[in-house]
Amino acid sequence: MKRMEEQTYYEILEVSPDAGLKEIQRAYDHARETFHADSLAIYSLFSEEEMRKIQAAIEEAYRVLMDEALRRSYDQSHSHLIERSSREEQVEKPVKSSEIRSDLSFTELSLETGEITYRGRSLKQLREKLGIDLKAVSAETKINMKTLELIEEEDLDHLPAMVYLKGFLKAYARALNLDPQKLIEGYFQLLQEKGKK
Amino acid sequence: MTRDHHQRVIWTIGGGKGGSGKSFITTNIGICLSKLGSRVILIDADLGGANLHTFLGLLPPITSLSDFIKKRVPHLKDALIHTGVPNLQLLTGAQDLLNAADAKSAQKRKLLRSIKSLESDYILVDLGGGNALSVLDFFLMSDGGILVVTPEPTSIENTYRFLKSAFYRRLRQAVSSYSAKSLIDEAMDQKNEAGIRSPYELLREVRRINEEDALKMVEEAATFRPNLILNQVRSKKDIEIGFSIRSACQKYFGIQLHYLGYIVYDQDVGNSIRKRRPLVLENYRSKAAQCVSEIASRLANSHRMNPGI
Repeated sequence: MKRMEEQTYYEILEVSPDAGLKEIQRAYDHARETFHADSLAIYSLFSEEEMRKIQAAIEEAYRVLMDEALRRSYDQSHSHLIERSSREEQVEKPVKSSEIRSDLSFTELSLETGEITYRGRSLKQLREKLGIDLKAVSAETKINMKTLELIEEEDLDHLPAMVYLKGFLKAYARALNLDPQKLIEGYFQLLQEKGKK
Repeated sequence: MTRDHHQRVIWTIGGGKGGSGKSFITTNIGICLSKLGSRVILIDADLGGANLHTFLGLLPPITSLSDFIKKRVPHLKDALIHTGVPNLQLLTGAQDLLNAADAKSAQKRKLLRSIKSLESDYILVDLGGGNALSVLDFFLMSDGGILVVTPEPTSIENTYRFLKSAFYRRLRQAVSSYSAKSLIDEAMDQKNEAGIRSPYELLREVRRINEEDALKMVEEAATFRPNLILNQVRSKKDIEIGFSIRSACQKYFGIQLHYLGYIVYDQDVGNSIRKRRPLVLENYRSKAAQCVSEIASRLANSHRMNPGI
């Protein structure tokens, strides 16, 4: 039970101190959506002044945590607080954005919103929507930038051989927390449709 | 799945407002748990209109809790009604006791002890949308409180009101000093003279007068973990509201709400209620039934739930 002023930037965004950029971006999007003036979830709970404080705290936390140098400096100056919150989180099972996705696993499919099949271009759109730089995907997956661009551009003539492509798609899907099998199936369907490879 | 005498779990379903689906959810989760092989008792304590029997397609029961209280039956188990669903029994009339303004707390505690002594694996109590102190006490005394919300401002507003009442009542029970209890009572009024508008401001004021009680409040907040079911969702955006409510509760109350799951809006629900046939029996393949079933499975694997809410 800590006031906003007492919370670390990690607590404000509800991420663990070792969260990657992707996770922070997702948590930030979630926080902005939640603490938006028109958000249903905060209805009747906060005053306008409290909302302004929360929104400012979220923006500041995001600005610092997304900047490598600022984050390092923040971590150093708040090391005691961050370590403590880390221990508390282990005990209290904190809310992590990864939990959000796993909790949506089943019935999400039962909604009539249409199944999304991610291929190259839609994959790129999703990545951009998540605010994840292709370089970050490259760093995480160890796949070179050129290959990732070919995958996203659906440049079928220059894609690597199928056996490698499968592994690349798997790694890329995991980097965006998508179901690897679905991405592979969707992408291979694309290949078949275009009659290549 | 069987549990021994000491592992019985009581869940209370409350909050929100009338029409958010608490009775529907209580009935259908109960049936799902009974289909998993567990012994389940449903208790109808809805002050606004007890009618779990209708959801089960039963006539108004002849025996009820009143028969036990008035000693017309010797044991509480004698007031239970067989529902026709294997492993599932029903107890009605609990609202009479909760509603009685003169019901002594000793009498309520005795009732709770009797309920806890019933031979069952799971006991699900439908509290309805009421906010009475005895309802809050029941919510707090159970092993897990479940809030049912629909993605509408009225439902969300009522749920926060209920949650705040339950939270403050729990804090009140935790603190020792008269001054801290008085301050919490005062804070219940949103327009209180002390100017306390939020749990954090309440904590700050309590800390000023009694540091020990302030610490107790912090400890209570850390262990108060109600559960949330979002009902009648129509889109992915609606589903996200559950996660947003969780975040809002973390920021406002400083508590961790557990988002247990959601149930999609489904016309089959209305059809099943009109037919007086529980959805999970009438149309198990419907989308809403699948959602209920998933939530029931989560409850059965309740390692994620924190005992004592």
